[in-house]
Amino acid sequence: MAAPLTLLLLVAVTVRAALFRSSLSELISERVEVVSPLTAWKRVIEGLALLDLGVSPYSGDVFHETPLTIYLFHFLVDYAEVTFMVSVAGSSVVVTYLILFQFRKQKFALEADRYPLDCLELIRSPKEMYYIPLKVAMFYLLNPFTILSCVAKSTCGLNNAIIALFILSTIKGNVLLSAIFLSLATYQSIYPLTLCAPALLYLMQRQYIPVNFRRASFWWFIVQYAFMYLGSLFVIICLSFFLLGSWDYLPSVYGFILSVPDLTPNIGLFWYFFAEMFEHFRLFFLCVFQINVFFYTIPLSIKLKEHPVFLIFMQLAVISIFKSYPTVGDISLYMAFLPVWSHLHRFLRNIFLVSCVLLACSALFPVLWHLWIYAGSANSNFYYAITLLFNVAQILLVSDYFYAFLRREHHLTYGLYLKRKDGSEATLVLK
Amino acid sequence: YVRGIFKNLHGWFINCLRYLFCCFQDRAGQFFSSGHTNNWAVLVCTSRFWFNYRHVANTLSVYRSVKRLGIPDSHIVLMLADDMACNHRNPKPATVFSHKNMELNVYGDDVEVDYRGYEVTVENFLRILTGRLPPSTPRSKRLLSDDRSNILIYLTGHGGNGFLKFQDSEEISNVELADAFEQMWQKRRYNELLFIIDTCQGASMYERFYSPNLMALASSQVGEDSLSHQPDLAIGVHLMDRYTFYLLEFLEDIHPASKTNMNDLFKVCPKSQCVSTPGHRTDLFLRDPGSVLITDFFGSVRKVELTMETINLTDPIEQLESAESGELQKEMHTYADQLPVSEIIHQKPKQKDWHPPDGFILGLWTLILLVFFQTYGVKHLKHIF
Repeated sequence: MAAPLTLLLLVAVTVRAALFRSSLSELISERVEVVSPLTAWKRVIEGLALLDLGVSPYSGDVFHETPLTIYLFHFLVDYAEVTFMVSVAGSSVVVTYLILFQFRKQKFALEADRYPLDCLELIRSPKEMYYIPLKVAMFYLLNPFTILSCVAKSTCGLNNAIIALFILSTIKGNVLLSAIFLSLATYQSIYPLTLCAPALLYLMQRQYIPVNFRRASFWWFIVQYAFMYLGSLFVIICLSFFLLGSWDYLPSVYGFILSVPDLTPNIGLFWYFFAEMFEHFRLFFLCVFQINVFFYTIPLSIKLKEHPVFLIFMQLAVISIFKSYPTVGDISLYMAFLPVWSHLHRFLRNIFLVSCVLLACSALFPVLWHLWIYAGSANSNFYYAITLLFNVAQILLVSDYFYAFLRREHHLTYGLYLKRKDGSEATLVLK
Repeated sequence: YVRGIFKNLHGWFINCLRYLFCCFQDRAGQFFSSGHTNNWAVLVCTSRFWFNYRHVANTLSVYRSVKRLGIPDSHIVLMLADDMACNHRNPKPATVFSHKNMELNVYGDDVEVDYRGYEVTVENFLRILTGRLPPSTPRSKRLLSDDRSNILIYLTGHGGNGFLKFQDSEEISNVELADAFEQMWQKRRYNELLFIIDTCQGASMYERFYSPNLMALASSQVGEDSLSHQPDLAIGVHLMDRYTFYLLEFLEDIHPASKTNMNDLFKVCPKSQCVSTPGHRTDLFLRDPGSVLITDFFGSVRKVELTMETINLTDPIEQLESAESGELQKEMHTYADQLPVSEIIHQKPKQKDWHPPDGFILGLWTLILLVFFQTYGVKHLKHIF
């Protein structure tokens, strides 16, 4: 596993280095699909320059990174390209290993007994599973979205690395590290808060605590985890206060994420709505849109409480689609996990449509941007249409995987070839 | 006994006062010798385009010196024909350096440019000098001098025999300039005027002056070129012209209480350093250049002396006998003592880089180490690998 992974890393690093040195890097770092006001590298440099001039970087609307990012880049600003390549390579390695550990944990033989005989083909054999970690690494490293995000030096790569470390520590079962990385991820952008639920479910599963509201051990574990999480979040926030000596960063970072003042077009859903919103209704719709991100946590975790790893995937996808300033870097993170569920392929219904739409939209984004901004013959509706279509395709992809997952579970319980009472073949209908 | 002491004190007091009085009279003579009450400066850079960076740096260096020595922005008319600090080709944006190794950033953060870009034209320059501006012109763009003003005029750019090029498209001739100064004299718009020009063949520009109280300096004679000082490899252009570079070095040593006079200014940048021969013209100037202080033109030295004595100004000022020595020397404060001279001369801005506070670094790494030992101290390492 190490050798092919190294080869893959070499290829990925070469591709990125080649792109860094070419003239495309500046073009890419200005694309709105790849960088957002939260993650743009230009703003990081601007913030550091303001700091050198003795001005707080959070004055004005330029800089929206957290103080720990300031600290990191203060020392690494000259080695930025290497930093981002290392973070991308690191997160891919982390993700590979976490898949590996996840699979090693799965006891194949034990599971085989539980299911009806004709379902054996549904269960993955170790031979199939052998190449999946490598495929995951490949999906993350060689995904054009990741490459674009890395070449643009968007700090999304760092956020993804932290989330990957969080998932690794959760799967390893280390409660403290999981809480710490989750608080770091939440500190960077608020939305990973929703990953609390799958983390809790997984850790409880690992420690054989039944998920039952009446059990004391359940609540005790939640209290422990919440204490560690909130405590480390509090410590990190206080530490950030001591970096610059002021609380300026709170409205600049979290106020910015939550109140969405910057309406630069991106691949998300917020900008168009809020550009044409009356001020009177702005707060209401802001709440609606932000709740939309957090809303799916509880229903999904109730449904998927036996399968927290899939819940993490779903949650990541929901965050990437519905967050206030999404970029292609966020999308590449959850797409990296798709090979893990390659056994669901036989149940996916819309894979062709989704992949065509995603490819077409990715190609159309720069075209319609050019037509709108430079040629002037289109307008924002064109670009937003493609944004909408892109997000619809992503939602379709995610819901398709969800459907396939549920269907596989159903088959594992009731057998693969369903028969009605009179023996004829039955069909499964999703209601 | 007490009355004796009182008489002694009284006598001593009278002597002191007489001593002070004649000192004051003496200094009152010096007080009113220069004849001006306010200072103005008109600093013009006439060339645009990135490779003429040095002209903007020249002008900004003189601006910096003049401002440092006390002339406020309201009395400075700064005209820059191009923006070098925010030029796309500037590898260090928001800076204009006047010395290689980027020692001195003359742009700083309090430069007020009154005429910028295409506003720097011959017509505007002449209108400023003569005061014939439209009524809508704001005060910052006017030269509101009176007959007690000493004006410093500094021009730099590309020039030739008898002309100075503005913006690569027009020129001002020495005849026009001389006529403008005569207009200023007729309208009583200056008390004394110092004209400095740093261009090729600069001496030709002051050849035609004919108004009184004009002193002129130029960086090169007719037929000679003024050369630039040194290129900077990081920025890619020449940063300063030689004459203004040495002028700036000379001016960095001046503080508001300096007693250096014009003869020292004429010695700035001899041929060995400048390659061209700087020239000067003092025949139209009424005072002896040796008695003219540098700060009469470059600074805005307000002469303030605190006194409790009344000075009789209607009588001619005579030199009295020096007072009885000994007795009590009352402490006299001279102007120079009140200034932090060491801070005013050789001002180099301190380039401070931001560093994260030590407490933060300590706290952060302590936490990281704690977490590390918590996870890996307790668990076995073989679970990881």
